[in-house]
Amino acid sequence: MVTKEKLKDYAAKLMFDMDDEGYDRTLEEFETVEKHMALIGEIENIENIEPMTFPYVIYHADLREDVACDCLTNDEVLANAKETKANQVKVPKVVGE
Amino acid sequence: MYKVVIGLEVHCEVKTNSKNFSSSRNTYSEYPNENIDTVDIGLPGILPVANKDAFRKSLMMSLALHCKTPDIVMFDRKNYYYPDLPKGYQITQETKPVGRDGYVMINVDGIDKKILINNIHLEEDTASLDHFGTYSLIDYNRSGVPLLETVTEPCLSSAEEAVTFLETLKGIFLYTGVSEARTDRGQMRCDVNVSLMEDTATEFGTKVEMKNINSFNNVKLAIEYEIKRQTEILKSGGKVVQETRRFDDEDLKTYSMRSKVDAVDYKYYIEPNIPPIKISDSLIEEIKSEIPMLQYERVQKYMGEYGLSRYDSDIIVKDKKVSDYFEETIKLGVDPKSSANWLTSIILGHLNKYEIGIDDLYLTPKMLCELIKMVDAGKISSKQSKQVFFKCIEEEKEPSVIVSELGMTQITDDKTIRDIVVKVLDEHPDLIEDHRKGKNTFDYFVGQVMKQTRGQANPTLTKDIILEEMEKR
Amino acid sequence: MKTIVDLRSDLDNKVVTSEQLFEKANKLAHKYQDEFNPFVTIIDEKIEEESDSILSGIPYAIKDNFSTKGILSTASSNILKDYVPVYDATAYKKLKEAGCVLVGKTVLDELAMGGTGTTGHTGIVRNPWNKNHQIGGSSAGSAAAVALGIVPFSLGSDTGDSIRKPAAFGGVVGFKPTYGRISRYGLFAFASSLDHVGCFTRCVRDAAIVTDILKGKDERDMTSLPDEEVKYADMIDNDIKGKKLFYIKELTDLDLYKDAGEETLDVLRKFKGTIEKCKNIGFEVEEISFDEKLLKAIYPAYMTISCAEATSNNSNLTGIPFGPRGEGNNINEIMFDARTKGFSELIKRRFILGSYILQRENQERLFKNAGRLRRIIVDKMNELYKKYDAMILPASGGIAPTFDGEIDRMSPRYLMLENHMAIGNFGGFPSITIPNGFVSDMPIGINITGRCFEDGLTLNIANKIEEVLGFRGIVKEEYDV
Repeated sequence: MVTKEKLKDYAAKLMFDMDDEGYDRTLEEFETVEKHMALIGEIENIENIEPMTFPYVIYHADLREDVACDCLTNDEVLANAKETKANQVKVPKVVGE
Repeated sequence: MYKVVIGLEVHCEVKTNSKNFSSSRNTYSEYPNENIDTVDIGLPGILPVANKDAFRKSLMMSLALHCKTPDIVMFDRKNYYYPDLPKGYQITQETKPVGRDGYVMINVDGIDKKILINNIHLEEDTASLDHFGTYSLIDYNRSGVPLLETVTEPCLSSAEEAVTFLETLKGIFLYTGVSEARTDRGQMRCDVNVSLMEDTATEFGTKVEMKNINSFNNVKLAIEYEIKRQTEILKSGGKVVQETRRFDDEDLKTYSMRSKVDAVDYKYYIEPNIPPIKISDSLIEEIKSEIPMLQYERVQKYMGEYGLSRYDSDIIVKDKKVSDYFEETIKLGVDPKSSANWLTSIILGHLNKYEIGIDDLYLTPKMLCELIKMVDAGKISSKQSKQVFFKCIEEEKEPSVIVSELGMTQITDDKTIRDIVVKVLDEHPDLIEDHRKGKNTFDYFVGQVMKQTRGQANPTLTKDIILEEMEKR
Repeated sequence: MKTIVDLRSDLDNKVVTSEQLFEKANKLAHKYQDEFNPFVTIIDEKIEEESDSILSGIPYAIKDNFSTKGILSTASSNILKDYVPVYDATAYKKLKEAGCVLVGKTVLDELAMGGTGTTGHTGIVRNPWNKNHQIGGSSAGSAAAVALGIVPFSLGSDTGDSIRKPAAFGGVVGFKPTYGRISRYGLFAFASSLDHVGCFTRCVRDAAIVTDILKGKDERDMTSLPDEEVKYADMIDNDIKGKKLFYIKELTDLDLYKDAGEETLDVLRKFKGTIEKCKNIGFEVEEISFDEKLLKAIYPAYMTISCAEATSNNSNLTGIPFGPRGEGNNINEIMFDARTKGFSELIKRRFILGSYILQRENQERLFKNAGRLRRIIVDKMNELYKKYDAMILPASGGIAPTFDGEIDRMSPRYLMLENHMAIGNFGGFPSITIPNGFVSDMPIGINITGRCFEDGLTLNIANKIEEVLGFRGIVKEEYDV
């Protein structure tokens, strides 16, 4: 059973938070989606069908030849980083692992 | 007593020119953020493009580990947030990895053991983080480097087995050229699972995972520490907690990081930007034909066919180039034992001393063959051959040239030696008398003959003639 | 209203210069910006690369979720409000190399996740035909820029119907070719397996011309299709006698819409009228039956797949290598803060839904079942395409909605009619919307969805229908300058 607390936990794992009313609205949406999806679950033999990921598969994909090239300059790499130091992206101390 | 159950997940960087999903350089760089493409920093709008060579090499490794390869290979996303993962997901293989259900043969103290491989999959490395007092710096050079993860079944039963497996695996990486597998550069890293179970139990105990251990010795120490720690818990009636622990390589202990409850759900799903890749039988055959005979098999062959000791065989196969050199001399007709002897007692010592590889050695297998054949034919003595070897590499000249330059041909003519022996004996009747009385003067005579021939007299022949001539008197 | 073909001839005959075209477009862009808000960025300096392509000197606009080097690219989200890319999207690069002149970057629903044109960080986009109505989305600004006569064409992206729906509401042509026909490199990903690049134009011929420039294999996009030797613009006048079209009874039968409003009924009547015209010019058109259970499931399956993929695709927006830096004492706090401030509530709700769908315990029931439904529908379509050349349907169940949330009173059948165009994304089918006249003085459209890889034939069919309908190049009188 999905609860508001669980939704908060899901949001936290996605690295954001929102207003309380946001979670209420999310909860409502969840109910709608679950209801709709339940209908899909009722389609006969659905479990025997391979889920589709690619619109079509024609095995045209050529893998890339292993040739290295100059790509971005250091300036370009750091162009959009808000804080840099010694040609690297600077962030507050990483915690955890 | 408890039975130890160990499983390993080994990450190894694949040696390629470019990264796994972009064309930026895959190289060890001193300068940060130099080898970067839009893809490697996860800019909006980027798409991965899979590297053919990384893919081929991962198939090669899969085959070398006797894995079953699928008809179709796909990639998946593993979703999690961490500052070293700019896209917010890692491209890996979960649904259709390059290999499943393989094995590796290892030998621990002369006993063979089959280590089962659950799967081997191709993924990408993360950026590297450098931690300072209040801040960290991110270098994305490593981001996107192809990484092969080999996952064993929980079938290892000691620290020693684990390390032997890692060494064997490293050997396979080196023999196939799939990776340089340098632990000092973090190219080979290991996650270790350890659990203990009662001798009589049929179910595995609770496992503890240790992440990212970066040297084989630390793997050994971490396992030994965990065995000790878990044994103590179990003995005192406690329960081992399922968790991830960190091995501290300074105080050599493991520390709890997070428990199972906090386990991350990586929300794997198929990477939609990389269409499924079909693997043809002909590609598999082609790659198979490129895999050289590996260490384990070579050791079997050297011991079985050539009669070498395990010790010598192990030394020779340690470096593929040395092993290839050895096999080349055998192809040229050299007796395996004398070739092995040359390698283990002289050549490898020389290479170690000067820290060079066997391909830097001036003496080719053909030259070594020539040298050994001169000794076998009695043209030069074995003592002389060593002199020739060093002169050869010093002056970069072929053995035959050195031998003739030094006038080193051996005297094997009976009459020439006999004339000298008679002369020497004539000069020392007293010593012949001493010999008869049981005193050893024989070696003195040998030495005199050698002196007068500047060491060129064939030693065996010389000894035989001295004995004969002394008998006559 | 002048088309690309007209402008080409004007340029070639020196009736007008590309400078004059740009100036005019730039002036109009500024003129309508306050009232309709089509642009995030208006370009004031004309940049044109030397080219002899059919598009050289032609002004255009591009949706703000394409990566344009040196030009702000926000995806209409606060989390990218200052983002200036260091690389070009392939589609943009091709237009640049073809000598097209960029007039502006257009507003979209935040991160392209929406269908109203009301959720962009710089405000709502209004419908040129009536300011009180939406133009639809997510490619709202791109549709408006063409409908307002500012540019003859614009680029958009289409994940569910994000080009084709606003095209219908704006009275312009909206085309997304086969999945993979145009490289997605540099298009900010929403749902990668459904995302398409496409264009808005004033006529089908222009859509073919623009697609001819954009299509082709891209080494940067593994899903891009191999090059073809054909030009679609050369195919659109082919004879269509005997070509077979089908439409779905469950979506279009007036008898099934007993409770529907007059506008919906009018949309359906106009659709039936168009079917008759199609028959008159030589098409064979048949009504087929499509399992209603499947039709009803299209929207939830689309939501499920797209939200799941979007959650993952937007995980790169943490404010670390790019984007606004969050505040906090450690790295997790700054990522958290950047994302909390950077996304609107709607986006967050979609992400939560998407991550829930992907959770281990829900994948089978939600994500995989949606993928299974997708396959059933695509298989069924491909079965139909063995007999028919294209599907023809109303592009929506009514006219463009107003801004005051009439969505609530939508019946299940209306929802089916409103959301069927996602079929084109499920199967990657080439799909085009063209104007089909007016209801309540607002434009409506019909949609033609063809067989995979047969973009030329799809455009050919659309062009012939456009010819007979007589709504080519429609524009509200006051913008026809």
